[in-house]
Amino acid sequence: MTGEAPNTVVHEDIALKTDAKMTARDVSVFYGSNQAVKNISIDVDSNYVTAFIGPSGCGKSTFLRCFNRMNDTIDVARVTGDIDLDGEDIYKSSMDVVQLRARVGMVFQKPNPFPKSIYENIAYGPRIHGLSDNKTDLDKIVETSLRRAGLWEEVKDRLDEGGTALSGGQQQRLCIARAIAVDPEVILMDEPCSALDPIATAKIEELIDDLQGRYAIVIVTHNMQQAARVSQRTAFFHLGHLVEYGPTEEIFTNPRADRTRDYITGRFG
Amino acid sequence: MTDAAQTFDSARSRAPTAWQSDAMAKRTRARYRKERRFRFMGLAALVLAAGFLAFLLFTIISDGWRGFQRAEIAVDVTFAEAELLSDGSDLSRADYRSLLNRDAEEQFGTSRVISEGAWPQLRDRLAAEPELLGQTERIWVVASPFIDLLAKGQVDFDLPPERQLVDEEIISDYRALVAEDRVRIAFNSGFLSRADSTSSEQAGVWGALVGSVLTILVTLAISFPIGVMTAIYLEEYAPKNRITDIIEVSINNLAAVPSIIFGLLGLAVFLNFFGMPRSAPIVGGLTLALMTLPVIVIASRVSIQSVPPSIKDAAYGIGASRLQVVTHHVLPVALPGILTGTIIGISRALGETAPLLLIGMRAFVSDVPEGVTEPATVLPVQIFLWSDEVGRGFIEKTSAAIMVLLAVLLSMNAFAIYLRNKFERRW
Repeated sequence: MTGEAPNTVVHEDIALKTDAKMTARDVSVFYGSNQAVKNISIDVDSNYVTAFIGPSGCGKSTFLRCFNRMNDTIDVARVTGDIDLDGEDIYKSSMDVVQLRARVGMVFQKPNPFPKSIYENIAYGPRIHGLSDNKTDLDKIVETSLRRAGLWEEVKDRLDEGGTALSGGQQQRLCIARAIAVDPEVILMDEPCSALDPIATAKIEELIDDLQGRYAIVIVTHNMQQAARVSQRTAFFHLGHLVEYGPTEEIFTNPRADRTRDYITGRFG
Repeated sequence: MTDAAQTFDSARSRAPTAWQSDAMAKRTRARYRKERRFRFMGLAALVLAAGFLAFLLFTIISDGWRGFQRAEIAVDVTFAEAELLSDGSDLSRADYRSLLNRDAEEQFGTSRVISEGAWPQLRDRLAAEPELLGQTERIWVVASPFIDLLAKGQVDFDLPPERQLVDEEIISDYRALVAEDRVRIAFNSGFLSRADSTSSEQAGVWGALVGSVLTILVTLAISFPIGVMTAIYLEEYAPKNRITDIIEVSINNLAAVPSIIFGLLGLAVFLNFFGMPRSAPIVGGLTLALMTLPVIVIASRVSIQSVPPSIKDAAYGIGASRLQVVTHHVLPVALPGILTGTIIGISRALGETAPLLLIGMRAFVSDVPEGVTEPATVLPVQIFLWSDEVGRGFIEKTSAAIMVLLAVLLSMNAFAIYLRNKFERRW
């Protein structure tokens, strides 16, 4: 394997267009002087689950965090290039980061419920964004979000218990419900199953299937089988470059770049 | 074949390790011996430390418990109406001193056995029971310091007269009183309700305690909000650069500056420059606030740093603003640590003497202060002042005041533990 920059292979049927939900053009991320993400252009479509795959340290998580400007919270990180949400540049100075993060929700690698009750975990987002007028309204949002996350039946009788008392898989679904509660347009998932056992993982994958079409979903994963199972679009990253982007089926059955083939077949990674 | 595999093979080719050999058994015994020795040294250190603490407490309490007691003498007082109202004044300002002295001289041949400050007891008694006017009543009044010493068994009667602490005459006075059963030891209520006095049997810690509370309230009101805000700004808002590095080092250095230097600063700034009142709790509180501030900043920063970043990520991830992340998520989790650090800082300020001496809080103050601008003293300074007194009776007062100070500190620490347990959350 060599480290020189390859040309990105983008499959014709998803060639870059301008009407996608989110578009990234020529995005680079620097940590100090180290460039972690190198000139990546990609589209995220509303109707599909997009998977970012690649070996550790390939920049996929860093790139994901550009879509809701979570890199802003890291002092040394610097982002260049354009990322648009519905044609609006999210890095322009008039963009309100608080609203952006409500519209582009995020689920993290490690389940991170707030040290509050299950109800409060879900209600917090709608409350700070003023999405409900009264208690009944808020109760409704909490129930809908938990139902969509497939958690309602398991927790409906103990909404006032601590969110941290749930099992790992339940906590992660609680976090997904929390993201759903503020009615986002895009949900970013950063390796949401890496801390979970296979049964909990299967439940999350089912959930992602259910949510597909309602929200644009981007999922970063280490697990290639998972990408194959849940996504319709796959992007393969290596050493900060986007190597190949295409329909999931094609990427896994008929990859066009050598590196993608080597990675898919387990030659490295 | 790789290097690692070769090394592994050559290790295999050696003779098998003899786990049952004598050398191995000896090594095992030596290890056990070392373990035992180490555990014994730890235990010895613990016993030694506990012994020192017990010795300290024993000395203080064995001297100090007498400070909470006082000797009293029964005097049959005749509240003669004509005499009390002779100069036309009302009962609250009548001359009880001469009345008491006269009655004492009549009954014991001398008035030196009763305290010079005992007469207000008569006034208070008469105010409480006006029907006593014109009657004769047996009243237990505070005894003089020497009778106090004798009654508490502090005097060795067998010493030759030239080495005796107390005059022969007073000893015979005392013997006469005992024979008539007119001496008793009672709870010294005045010690907890009065301010400083020049005579030991009248001196109390209440004035110093109130002074301490006023001073600490000023300290808390200044240093807690400023300290916590500084910590939040440094942790959550300030960019990490050379300037914040310098600020951080400066704060850490300030926490190590000897307290007397803060006293000099308070003297120069608050008294000389701003012209604030000398000996006042407001100045003491401001000076101690300067001293406590770095402690609170450091404790709060450590506590804020220990908030799991995943909780902050979660809050930012659903669109909480920075202020919301701080107030809804960081502070609730960091609060137990912040409060514990604050109380430790405040406890240290409460026990501080040196800086307060420099801003004039060592003045003799015989009134209980009623505000932060009135002259006052504080408990540790009171202890320092009493330990300097020549009067024999002040020895037990010093220890008793130490007991009061320790009780205040212990209850503050207990409060800190209570707060920590109350606000501590799991995640």
